[in-house]
Formats: sequence, structure tokens, C-alpha cells
Amino acid sequence: MTRLGVFICHCGKNIARTVNIEALREKAATLPHVVLAKDYLYLCSKPGQTMIADDIREHRLDKVLIAACSPRLHGKTFAQTAQRAGLNPYLLDMANIREHCSWVHIDGAEGTEKAFSIIKGGLGRLLYAEPLEPFQSPVTKRVLVIGGGVAGIQATLDIANSGYEVYLVEKSPSLGGHMAQLGETFPTLDCSSCILTPKMVEVSQNEHVHLLSYSEVTRIEGNIGQFQVTVRLRPRYVDETLCTGCGDCVPTCPVVVSNEFDQGLGARKAVYLPFPQAVPAVYTIDWDACLNTDKLIICENCYKDCEAKAINFLMEPQEKMVEVGAVVLATGYELMPVARIGEYGGDEYEDVIDGLQFERMLSASGPTGGVVRRPSDGRIPQNVVFVQCAGSRDPEHGIPYCSKVCCMYTAKHALLYKHAVPDGQVYVFYIDIRAAGKGHEEFVQKVMSEERILYLRGKVSKIFKSGAKLVVWGADTLSGRQVEIEADLVVLAMAVIPSSGSQKLARTLHIASDLSGFFSEAHPKLRPLESNTDGIFLAGAAQFAKDITDTVSQATGAAGKALSLLANDFIKLEPTISEVEEGICRGCGLCVSICPFGAVKMLPSTRTGAMVAGINPILCKGCGLCTAGCLSGAVTLKGSSFKQIFAQLEEMV
Amino acid sequence: MPPVKRKLFNLDQYQVPRGKVQIISERCKGCSLCLEYCPNKVLAWSTDYNFKGYRYPVLEETEEKYCISCRFCEEVCPDFAIYVTTEPELTAKPQSTQRK
Repeated sequence: MTRLGVFICHCGKNIARTVNIEALREKAATLPHVVLAKDYLYLCSKPGQTMIADDIREHRLDKVLIAACSPRLHGKTFAQTAQRAGLNPYLLDMANIREHCSWVHIDGAEGTEKAFSIIKGGLGRLLYAEPLEPFQSPVTKRVLVIGGGVAGIQATLDIANSGYEVYLVEKSPSLGGHMAQLGETFPTLDCSSCILTPKMVEVSQNEHVHLLSYSEVTRIEGNIGQFQVTVRLRPRYVDETLCTGCGDCVPTCPVVVSNEFDQGLGARKAVYLPFPQAVPAVYTIDWDACLNTDKLIICENCYKDCEAKAINFLMEPQEKMVEVGAVVLATGYELMPVARIGEYGGDEYEDVIDGLQFERMLSASGPTGGVVRRPSDGRIPQNVVFVQCAGSRDPEHGIPYCSKVCCMYTAKHALLYKHAVPDGQVYVFYIDIRAAGKGHEEFVQKVMSEERILYLRGKVSKIFKSGAKLVVWGADTLSGRQVEIEADLVVLAMAVIPSSGSQKLARTLHIASDLSGFFSEAHPKLRPLESNTDGIFLAGAAQFAKDITDTVSQATGAAGKALSLLANDFIKLEPTISEVEEGICRGCGLCVSICPFGAVKMLPSTRTGAMVAGINPILCKGCGLCTAGCLSGAVTLKGSSFKQIFAQLEEMV
Repeated sequence: MPPVKRKLFNLDQYQVPRGKVQIISERCKGCSLCLEYCPNKVLAWSTDYNFKGYRYPVLEETEEKYCISCRFCEEVCPDFAIYVTTEPELTAKPQSTQRK
């Protein structure tokens, strides 16, 4: 005879507000097999857990149902409670009467009735629950970091300096990301590359770091502790081990194209180093621009001039297999293209630029050598209009969120321009100033009051060309007037969006992303550094728009998370995975094609030798797709067997 | 890469090699390989004929299209009828080159 215990949580008023706990407890106590029904204000609190553990021992409970919140929130908490009381944690189940009931009901009577039916279903399911034991899996003591911006660099250094090997994969030819493009950083006006380049060099010199630049992750398999990663190394047509970085290949290269690193404002050759401080300091041939093709070698100028004989036009893409225990995702952001906002010229006007292009002009190593110039005629602009929230907080253009950094960097841009051109006039259009950070508000106030910069509260409706000048139409909502400004240069603080490859990467890694395309964290408050796949951690602007300070903090946090995983030799994996009954399986192979994780393979049966499905317990995530898809019902999902599901349904309806 | 075709600020800091195409018209048999493969398309057909009776390539350079001294015409010519001498200095002002 099974002895069941039911514990009902008030969750403060979260559940008790809608559900009549007293009536629920009395009704639950009358259900078959129930020997104990109790309620408590906060079951997850220490006294609540102690009460459960004591009752399990005292009343010799075989199985326990906790009617409270979602198992996603406290499933682990109560499983540990059961374990402490000597009960197999898989004989404790949760009935979600908060998210599934009290939060979505207003009427008390209906809510209570539904809570009772959820509890009844939970008990039905619990009756057929069987004890399960977690199994152990070894942890590979290496980490993969994807993205070589400041987030990836920081995470890599933190992990490598703890003595673990790191593979750092960067898509572009050099480390540095967007931070390397910046001139000075707010609010202290530190030189961006001066604080970043030493870290880049440190990465390249650390013996624990394997830097894979000009590379992309194309495939990832496995589970927490054991990921098998395939990295595709794009050919740079220059041998990394031979190139000395002397630059002798550049002068005779006949092809000049615009430099992505300068946001299209500056030039580079087809054989190039994106910027002088690039790491690795190895030249790359841009095969799209080079005169040579895979079939035809037309120009050999660089080959002839390279004394180190590092240039190899026959280089082919390579695939590298890497085994790691954890992954840190730091793929960063990009700016929404100006072309997406038609009323601001939609990228038709040369003198309407975005924040990063202005940043390149401010940078001493930029295409203008740190002088602000009009892209159309190269003259120094006298009237500059900055437009904040260009795309951000604008659901019509598809970006409902605040990009978080624009208020600060626009204030910095205005200040730096004003210092360079003291008699120039600066106008800043803003909706609200959001300067919530250490020293941020003080910085903006200083810019507003001391620098004679006109802040106009309102949106810009239209930008159009009139002769050599641009006309900006906007509203000043504080004075209630329409404003028309003749500008030489307009700088749009474009919305921060996830970097372009991130959706593809999310699919490769089987992790979720939100509506805007940023990677989803496991819990917005309590697990902001983890993705919803165990062992994959998030750092930097790939999770959401953030400034350098927050990015570095998060990167260090993600590194810490990865390190605490690597501190274990083995990790316990959930036993709630699929299992095949070999005698029933007819070997159709349908489950092999259904499984999104590649965990099912056809293998000869140990008894009959016939081909049957076999499940790799490390790869199986327990999603249940094969269980539902199997035509002969040969696959069982442990912890959610057919018996359990049907018992739950029968009790509920 | 932003889609606007902007003038590049520091273009004048970039120089490309400048070659001078030398054509030995009598050797040419008009196979057109050099015209076909010249990456900057600086060659055109002559209006008159050589003594064998073939049209031969002539140089037709403009501000934007000039010989960049890749010497591929030398390589492909089956009759050794064309070669390039490189100017010692890199003088040409480059145009922003379109990608393939």
C-alpha cells in the first residue's frame, strides 16, 4: 500500500489569494493513498523544507506531491529535500498550482477546483512513478569561447589564467570586436584600444589559449561536460605560422576596397590587416576582392613580395574537431542598418552616418586620423545633429526595446566633437535620457550644462537633402514647436541588434533566443549567465545590449560559471531520458530521423542481432519526441511513462 | 558593409602599382586571351591589322582603368607578343574597386 503525502504551498499570497488552501487541503486528504495533507506559507523556505523532510521520515511516506510553483523554479530544491529525507528524488513530484492555476484565475471557486484537479492528476501520475538513479558523465576540462570581442577576450583570459585550456573562435581576421573600433569610452574617456589591445596580446601569448581566428563553429554535438565541436577554419591564403606581419605584401596589391573595420569609411587592400594592432598580427587575403579565383591565379604580386613565403593561393577551408566541457557564447551585437529607416534617408545620403562610423572618425587610428569630417566633401562640419533612439523604442521599425548605450555614447560624441570644433553647433534629439550607471548621469549633465550643446526632447520626423546641406525636421516637445535644422552632418544612434550570424548559431547550438534575436537566459533574474542548455553560458551583448562595464562583468561571471563546472571530474546527468524496449522495437528507424540531438542510432540487438534503436544517454535530452513518434510504443521516457501520463489524464478529466 | 557607395576618406594614402603594357604587334595572332583575362580591361582591339592580317590588342587606359601590373597577359599570351614593364614608383591613385 503506497503512502502518499501532499504538501500545499501558499506562496505568500501568490497561490492563497485565488485558491482556498484550507478547502483544498481537506479535499486532498480524502484522496486514495493519501496519508498526510499539509499546507505551509512558503514550502521552499528552510522551515518549509525541514517540515517536509521530517514528515517523510515520521509518516514513512513512499511518495510526495508538492503543490506549489513550476518545477522549473523549485523542482531541484524539493528533489534535494527528498534526498535529505532518504527518499528517492524521482518519487517526489510537483503539481504546478501557481503558473498553471492561481496566476491565471481570478475567481476563487474555479481556481480552487482547478487546483484540486491538478493535484489529483499529479497524484495519479505519482502512483506509477519509479525510483531513478542519476548517472555520471565525465567532464572534459576545456572551454570553447565563441566570439573574440571584449566579452570573449575577458572570458578566455579568466578561464585560461585558471589553468584550463580555451579554444577561442572568432569570425573575423582579428580579435577585438566592436570595442577595438571605438575611440574613447564613456564616462571616463579612456582610450578604448589602449585598454583593449594589451588584453588581446595577452590572449595571443597565453599558452592555454588556442586562438582560431577567421573561423566559425559549424556543428556542436554532445552534452554538458562533453561537447564535440566542429570549427571551420576559413582560408586566409596566408600561412599563419609563417607570416611575420611585415606588410611587404600590401604596397603592390592592385586592389583597393573599403575596410569593414572602418565601417566603410576607409580603404584597405585585398591583402590586409584590419587595423595595426590586430591579433593575430597576420595578414589575410580577402578572396572576394582578390583578382585570383579558385580556378585562376591572375596576380602574384603579394606572393612575389613575401620574403617569408607565407602566401599560398591554394589554401582550402579546414575543419577542426574540438572536445570541450563548456561553451561561452559572446557573439556580440551590430547596429541596425540605416537603410531600414526610410524617413532618415534610408542610407541614401552620404552625410547621414551611424554611431560606429562617427566613432571611427573620432579614433586616432581611423580613416580621418581623429578629425570629424563630412563623408561627402571631407570638410569639417559646423552643424551636427545627433538623433538618439534611431530605431530603438520604435516598434514600427521592429525594435521595441531601449538599446541602453546610445544616450551615453551620443553625449560622448557631442562632447568630443565640441572639443575638436569649439565653434561648432551640436543638437541632440532625445526621447528620454537614460543614464543609469556609475558616473553616467554626472557625465550627461556635464555635457548638457558645460558644453553648450542643445538637447531637444523629441523625435526627428524626416531628414532630406537641400543643396549641400541636410535638413532635419523634428519636434521639440518641451516648447511644443516644430524644429527645422540645417545640418552638415547627421549621426544616427542606431538600435543595437544581435550580430547577424547569431540566429544560425542558436540553431546549431540548440539554444533559445528571444523575439529580438538575443540569446535567452535560463532565468532573467537568477540565471542571467546561463542559456537554457546546460553547459552553454552567455556573455556580453549577445544576451542583450550592454556597455563595456556590464559586458566585462558578465564575461567574468560566465567564465566563473564555466570554471565551477570544470572543477568537477564528473557531473550527474538526469536519468529522465528515453529508453528502448528492444523486444518491441521493429527497427523502422523513424526515431533516428525524429531525434533533434542525434542521440538515437540503429544498433544490432544484443539478444537477436536484429537492428533496433539504441539511445545514447549522454546525448539524450529527454525531450520525448521519439517516445511520441514511435509507431510501436517501444520507447519510454523515464519519469514520464505512458502509464504515468494516462493516469494523470484520467484523474484530471 | 554599408550599402552607400561612399568616397573613402584615406584613399589617397593607398597606392597601387602601375604597369606599362608593351605589345609586339607583329607576333600577335589575335587569339584574344589577353583581352579576355585582363582584370582591369585595359586592352582593346586595334583598328588596323598587323602584317599577318590579324587585329592585335592596343592599350586603352582611362582615369579608372589602368594597368595594375599583374602581368597575367604575359602569362597567357601563347606568342610572347605582350609584356609589362613596371614603373619603379607606385604612383597611381587608386579608385575604390568594386568587388567580384
